[in-house]
Amino acid sequence: MCGINGIVAYHSASSAPEEAELLATRDAMRARGPDGSGTWWSADRHCGLGHRRLSIIDLSDRASQPMTSEDGRFVVVFNGEIYNYPQLRAELETDGARFRTTSDTEALLHLYAHYGAEMVHRLRGMFAFAIWDQTRRGLFLARDPYGIKPLYTANDGWTFRFASQVKALLAGGNISRDPEPAGIVGFHLFGSVPEPFTLYRDIRALPAGHTQWVDNAGPREPKPFANLAEVLAKSAANPTPAAELPERVRAGVLDSVSAHLLSDVEVGIFLSAGVDSGAMLGVMRDAGQREIRAITLAFDEFKGTPEDEAPEAARVSAIYGARHIVRRLNAQEFFGDLPTILEAMDQPSIDGVNTWFIAKAAKEAGLKVALSGLGGDELFGGYASFRDLPHWRRWFGPFAAVPGLGFLFRKFIRAVAPNLAVARPKAVGLLELSGSWAGTYLLRRGLFLPHELPMFVDPEIAREGLRRLKPLNRLAATLMPDPRTDGGRVCVLESANYMRNQLLRDADWAGMAHSIEIRVPLVDFTLLATLAPAIALLKEGAGKAALAHAPTTPLPAAALIRAKTGFSVPTGAWMSMAAAKLWGATASLPQYKGLVSRRWSSVVINHIGLTDDPAKVHAA
Amino acid sequence: MKRLPRLLALVGDAFGGRGGIAQYNRDFLGALAKSGAVSSITVVPRIARGFFLLPEKIEQTPAHAARSVYALAALRTAFSRPFDLVFCGHVFMAPLAALIARLKGAKLIVQTHGIEAWPRPSRAQLMAVEAADLVLCVSRYTRSAVLNWAAIVPERVLVLSNTVRDIFTPGDGSALRAELGLQGKRVLLTVARLDSQDRYKGHDRVIAVLPQLVAQGHDVAYVVVGDGYDRARLEAAALRAVGAERVRFLGEVELQSLIKFYRMADLFVMPSTGEGFGIAFLEAMACGTRALGLNVAGAKDALADEQLGRAAPETELAATIARVLVEPKGDPGTLAAAVRARFGPETFATGVCNALNRLMETA
Repeated sequence: MCGINGIVAYHSASSAPEEAELLATRDAMRARGPDGSGTWWSADRHCGLGHRRLSIIDLSDRASQPMTSEDGRFVVVFNGEIYNYPQLRAELETDGARFRTTSDTEALLHLYAHYGAEMVHRLRGMFAFAIWDQTRRGLFLARDPYGIKPLYTANDGWTFRFASQVKALLAGGNISRDPEPAGIVGFHLFGSVPEPFTLYRDIRALPAGHTQWVDNAGPREPKPFANLAEVLAKSAANPTPAAELPERVRAGVLDSVSAHLLSDVEVGIFLSAGVDSGAMLGVMRDAGQREIRAITLAFDEFKGTPEDEAPEAARVSAIYGARHIVRRLNAQEFFGDLPTILEAMDQPSIDGVNTWFIAKAAKEAGLKVALSGLGGDELFGGYASFRDLPHWRRWFGPFAAVPGLGFLFRKFIRAVAPNLAVARPKAVGLLELSGSWAGTYLLRRGLFLPHELPMFVDPEIAREGLRRLKPLNRLAATLMPDPRTDGGRVCVLESANYMRNQLLRDADWAGMAHSIEIRVPLVDFTLLATLAPAIALLKEGAGKAALAHAPTTPLPAAALIRAKTGFSVPTGAWMSMAAAKLWGATASLPQYKGLVSRRWSSVVINHIGLTDDPAKVHAA
Repeated sequence: MKRLPRLLALVGDAFGGRGGIAQYNRDFLGALAKSGAVSSITVVPRIARGFFLLPEKIEQTPAHAARSVYALAALRTAFSRPFDLVFCGHVFMAPLAALIARLKGAKLIVQTHGIEAWPRPSRAQLMAVEAADLVLCVSRYTRSAVLNWAAIVPERVLVLSNTVRDIFTPGDGSALRAELGLQGKRVLLTVARLDSQDRYKGHDRVIAVLPQLVAQGHDVAYVVVGDGYDRARLEAAALRAVGAERVRFLGEVELQSLIKFYRMADLFVMPSTGEGFGIAFLEAMACGTRALGLNVAGAKDALADEQLGRAAPETELAATIARVLVEPKGDPGTLAAAVRARFGPETFATGVCNALNRLMETA
């Protein structure tokens, strides 16, 4: 895990970039890579690459980046891990490749030399990288299928820039801060900025599962190479019989966890009292990991109550023989760290605070790498959305199909029961949005609904943002091709939207703020392909039950029961207090469930510094 | 063998036209025809005056200035023969071009220049630009403005800067200087239209700093080439500012004379706030004369982020002019070569080919 950046002055009229800009962008990502740094320039100085290193595989200096191929033709900067690197290396060596390091970075150079852009189909892992081809004078960029690792680009028409963080690109000083209405609206709709947009018009994310080529004709449109919906659509025709589910899950998860343990430094784990991380820990043990440190975040407020995760996590830890570290957090520390958290947040997010604190705990424990159970709910149907979305579609979809009915219903409720419209805006939007999977998902996950935006965002920004974002079209596009089953559709919607734009992005900035690499074995394209035939027909609770039985010694039944009751964390209440303190304008927000996230969103977007005048973004 | 595409160009003016946009259209279409990447180009202009020569592979239909007549002529031409590409030379024509492209199943290229493309256009124009397969902009500033209002994939919006013709070269301007009675003076030159709607060009700004320059001991003269309804007002203002001895308003001049004016000047200055690009900067520098503009809009591109010329903040115009006047002039040939390397015809032709290849990559 590292920070990468680069500048390519591709246009014939452009001047060679300044070294100072390359360094300013690179060093704005110091926390991503505290172990080393490097730069590389092409002979004409029209391409510069920068790298900050967090050493995890091949800790020696010879594995430093930017790394040049032996013949000098290719230069790579890479952020992430290639988990099938040993197999790839063996194959490449059979084909005659000579390795100078034991780093997965070098494998990328050989693979690109052998397979060109098609190399991405051979990679298993989380990755964002750029390879400069001296002969073709072009830059090849790629990002992993789920979008675990970030990669942002900016093109002003003469010069192309990229970096692992939005704020790092801005730190270079040559990119406009003009706001992107689609990013602002997207944040208010979803609680995170949906890719490819950012808050800034001139900065975009290279979408997950895409490659991009840049040469003297400029950057090409990103090309997709992996599609979650396609994997599920293909598998829907041949679903796995229910009886085979446990074995398929056990084998798939063991394979993924084993792959994710590839490291030259210790790999720990974030352990909650839930099924996902508990099963991870058990499978780590099955995969042969001897010394395991498991870190649990606990809250002073919950000490001695059933909501305290620490006792159950300790039991699970004991079952698998891990060394358990409980890191307690209280309100004082939360408020003390809040400015640092907001500063570390690369793009606004209404979540990520818990991840920030557990990553802080991991850093205190001296870890560099930790596994996380992130992705279990998306893969094994753990969210209520797996139940709600199909129901809402069935119950309300027919009404929503009547043109204008949803709109009239909303207007009618507003007129006759204005309090209900304020207290339950999603209920009011039910007949308007449940006509499609995309609409139903927006209803379920939405922070604000489109019709509410003009109340909280400048009406012109709201209108233009919706026009540019096209939220329903964008959500519907993630379901192309149709996964063909309800479970498959919800899995894709959650994975390609909420998980990608919020959970994974939060794991990146919050982990990297403490120089901690968070690995997510349940967010693995190979594992998805293995489990896709089973996901098609997954019954409620069956997925998590199978996951709980994935370790040779299954998780205790209590873990499953607890998963059903859910968790609560006091950070929500703290965030609400902070919001009230920091951003008084939230007084205009409706008082109802979900208020915390809405209040928090105001704090976050106003802290991100999009504009000096919050009124430009927020409606008065 | 794959058939080369046939291009239909809807333009305000190109061959037989005057001004920067007509020149750009001629440069673009000429480079395209020469590239061998298209089999034919049919130009449908609104304005074409006098005698002109058409390059090989290019034909031009009769001009029709009236909007409706022009639209009918464009449609008739479009359906009289096959076309694979439609080039739209101006945002105003984008709805018509988009309609034709759609009906013909052709790819659409929309060209944007300067102030016409900066504000949000009409809904019809907006939709047409968003439907384009490629949008070409003469500068980064114009590209940024287009992306501000158009919901279009940014990779489809390219910068293809203006070019400067080979005819603009360094040379001796002393004869013209003597003819104008400006020997020994430091000559500031502006070449631009003088219409009231073109006041953004900045003549007033130059006139305003002249007394200050004179007071500082700079023996300057201000030469203005170009004509328009605002000329009398500007001339009177300049005379009031520094007197007849230091001011020459010379109206429009022929191309050969224009080159001599560029060569004669010590500094080409056009503190414009509204340049899409500012081709006059390139022409001056290609003639070996230093150039100065404001650090706003497309002028920054023509001045290559101060790698070729000076791009001053408006508040520092007088100080920057004064500074440049006392700096060593440098070798005109070196400046001209640097301009040509970035913006010369060969570089422009490469850019045109790159743009077309980009379009055909997605065919």
